[in-house]
Amino acid sequence: MKKGIKQAGVATLAVIASTGIARAADAPSVEELDQRIKVLERQLELQAEDAATKAKDATTASASDKGFSLKKGDYELKIKGLVQADLRYFLDDFNPTRKAAPVESDRFNDTILFRRIRPTFEGSLGKLVGFRLTPEFAGDSATIVDAYLDAKFDPAYTLRVGKVKGPVALERLQSGGSTNFIERGFPTELAPNRDLGVQLQGDLFNSTLNYTLGYYNGTADGRDATSSDGDSRKEIGARLFAEPFKNSPGILQGLGFGIGSTFGSKEQGEANSGVAATTNNFLPRYRTPGQNVFFQYNTARAAAAAAIGHTGIYADGDHVRISPQVYWYYNNLGLIAEYIRSEQEVSAGVLAAGAAASTRATSTVTESFTNDAWQVSASWVITGEDASFRGVAKPKNAYTPGGPGWGAFELAARYGELDIDDDVFNAIPGTAGGAANSFANPNSAASEAKSYGVGVNWYLTSNLKTQLNYTNTSFEGGAAGGQDREDEKTIFARFQVAF
Amino acid sequence: MKLKAIIAAAALAAPLFAHAASIELLNVSYDPTRELYKEINAKFAEQWKAKNGDTVTIKQSHGGSGKQARAIIDGLEADVATLALAGDTDSVAKNAKLIPADWQKRLPNNSSPYTSTIVFLVRKGNPKKIKDWNDLVKPGVSVITPNPKTSGGARWNYLAAYAYALKNNGNSDAKAQEFVKGLFKNAPVLDTGARGSTTTFVQRGIGDVLLAWENEAFLSIEEFGTDKFEIVVPSLSILAEPAVTVVDKIADKHGTRKVAEAYLNFLYTDEGQQIIGKNHYRPSNPAVAAKFASKYPKLNLVTIADFGGWAKAQQVHFADGGIFDQIYQK
Repeated sequence: MKKGIKQAGVATLAVIASTGIARAADAPSVEELDQRIKVLERQLELQAEDAATKAKDATTASASDKGFSLKKGDYELKIKGLVQADLRYFLDDFNPTRKAAPVESDRFNDTILFRRIRPTFEGSLGKLVGFRLTPEFAGDSATIVDAYLDAKFDPAYTLRVGKVKGPVALERLQSGGSTNFIERGFPTELAPNRDLGVQLQGDLFNSTLNYTLGYYNGTADGRDATSSDGDSRKEIGARLFAEPFKNSPGILQGLGFGIGSTFGSKEQGEANSGVAATTNNFLPRYRTPGQNVFFQYNTARAAAAAAIGHTGIYADGDHVRISPQVYWYYNNLGLIAEYIRSEQEVSAGVLAAGAAASTRATSTVTESFTNDAWQVSASWVITGEDASFRGVAKPKNAYTPGGPGWGAFELAARYGELDIDDDVFNAIPGTAGGAANSFANPNSAASEAKSYGVGVNWYLTSNLKTQLNYTNTSFEGGAAGGQDREDEKTIFARFQVAF
Repeated sequence: MKLKAIIAAAALAAPLFAHAASIELLNVSYDPTRELYKEINAKFAEQWKAKNGDTVTIKQSHGGSGKQARAIIDGLEADVATLALAGDTDSVAKNAKLIPADWQKRLPNNSSPYTSTIVFLVRKGNPKKIKDWNDLVKPGVSVITPNPKTSGGARWNYLAAYAYALKNNGNSDAKAQEFVKGLFKNAPVLDTGARGSTTTFVQRGIGDVLLAWENEAFLSIEEFGTDKFEIVVPSLSILAEPAVTVVDKIADKHGTRKVAEAYLNFLYTDEGQQIIGKNHYRPSNPAVAAKFASKYPKLNLVTIADFGGWAKAQQVHFADGGIFDQIYQK
């Protein structure tokens, strides 16, 4: 028995020993293991290189709160959008023509409308070429808002060709989705809106100085250029805007100031009798923050055989604008202030007394009128997010249905004035005078408007914003008998989606 | 009057500016030629400046030859292409129509200013006793070569191995395929280009043998020392004939044809050939080649003609679904 156990033990040891020897023989050497590790490391290295190369060549699709994009290398297409639906109420406003004795229930002007429906397609074709196309689908017919091509030679000098915002007023240059108030203030009414032209623009000195220098068809104050230049006269536009502390964190980091200007001439031609003010592309029609026209030139004076003959008022000479401007943003506070002066030469054709009615003048009276506007607008983001020229970029706690977040709230206040040159209401020399023979009719055009407004902006998410504004605009003149117009009181609400 | 004066001054000044031209060329080449063209470029620019007064700047782009050809086809604006094998340049002619189909006839020696071949680079002492191609298919031998799908050098490696197998197996394609299959089975890493494989073998310390361009093997020894590596010359290899060409459409578009042609012709001059020999390539000029003859071992070389030319070799071996695709499986 003992012998049997001993034999079994020896046999077992022999098996164990032989197994161990076999294992030792099969096991890779340290050198082989080292090689395997090195091979794996090199393969990973090559895979990483390969992945990096492929990533460079791959088309990436992305979607975020800033929109959608397709990108491959330097080629990119971005799709963005801005939709604004407004509810607009005018307090104490009624239609005086509807009934002989209208009552408050005969409300006037109140409406629900789409203010903007603007998809934007922008991107780049290689390093050099950029583009943007923004159609507008709000209103009765589709139009093109922005359409331009960029030759991006360098951040310091980019050539932009197409339909662009005129480089003058500060709030005009702010995105329509970012303004403190539902409608921009008075200075925008004196600035060019969008114009067709070519402009050189760029950022200098570490982006602390931005410049634009352009050559445009020219527009009437507050209006877009038409698709072609009706008078073949051009406008030069230029703007310098400095943010000297942009790269230095501190209380002045968000300070920016500058000056914008245009100069050029407009030659509308005198044969414009009967051209309605509402279709005149050379002379302005100034609007209130409620978007009602309160001033326009007397462009449609009808010829009367028995009276001294005349033409309508028409743009006829130099048109110069200048606008100093400043903004300052610090933490959750924001301030925008700007002033603009628009000086334009206009003419009226006059016929000799007793002459036959004609649209051609025998003499011309030319005057230069200077209109001014300014505004100060302040904002306070009470939930603490940073205020900026682009509005509140992202609420800290975005609103989620049933969730704890309520988004960001911003309070805003604004005051502004628009002052018309008083001489515009004087009688045209050589005429019999009176309302019909002045450059502007004092019985329908106000000589001054003052407006204040308060508002609250609720940024539910970075894409969804609602606004509620109250504005009050008072006037000097502009009503029958030289009386002051009734104050315009508005309550506007907006529902905005932007991405 | 003033305007006239300005115009006259501009007219007088124009020739001054015309003499101060600055010309830029892009040479798209294969992986291991960085050092060669760095030296060639400097010397050519110096000569051109002395002769013509123009400043020529030659930019270099390097990578696996197949990848580089693809890049030119996809729009890389090469004024000249100096790829590892004529087949890659043929694909540029065929797919992008940037050069004429008979481009190879335009310069001497089928547009090959130099030749080279494939040798083995092993670690000092040759621990795996590698002497010839048949040693590379033995179990436990780790072979470093780039990927024939992307690298010209790798295609020369493959064809040299294939030729060896044919010769030693009674010209049996089946056995030759089995042979190269065994060889690539021993290749743990396939880099995209020859320089990458050199990095894998020399710097990362992977593998027992590097199938290398002769010039690359010399360069490795020159850089890292004879105490680290040694060259093994197999019993048979292949005559590699990298060919060069102006990329006509691009050079004409850039207005650089004259300089581009002069640049390639410079490769054939005594001075160019001298630089070629110095950088371990075999000069095509017999007189210059003789000066470097002692450096290069005598080899039994097959040529691409033995495979029916590059068009056929490419189609049979390296095209999608070709023999390489069939025998190489990860």
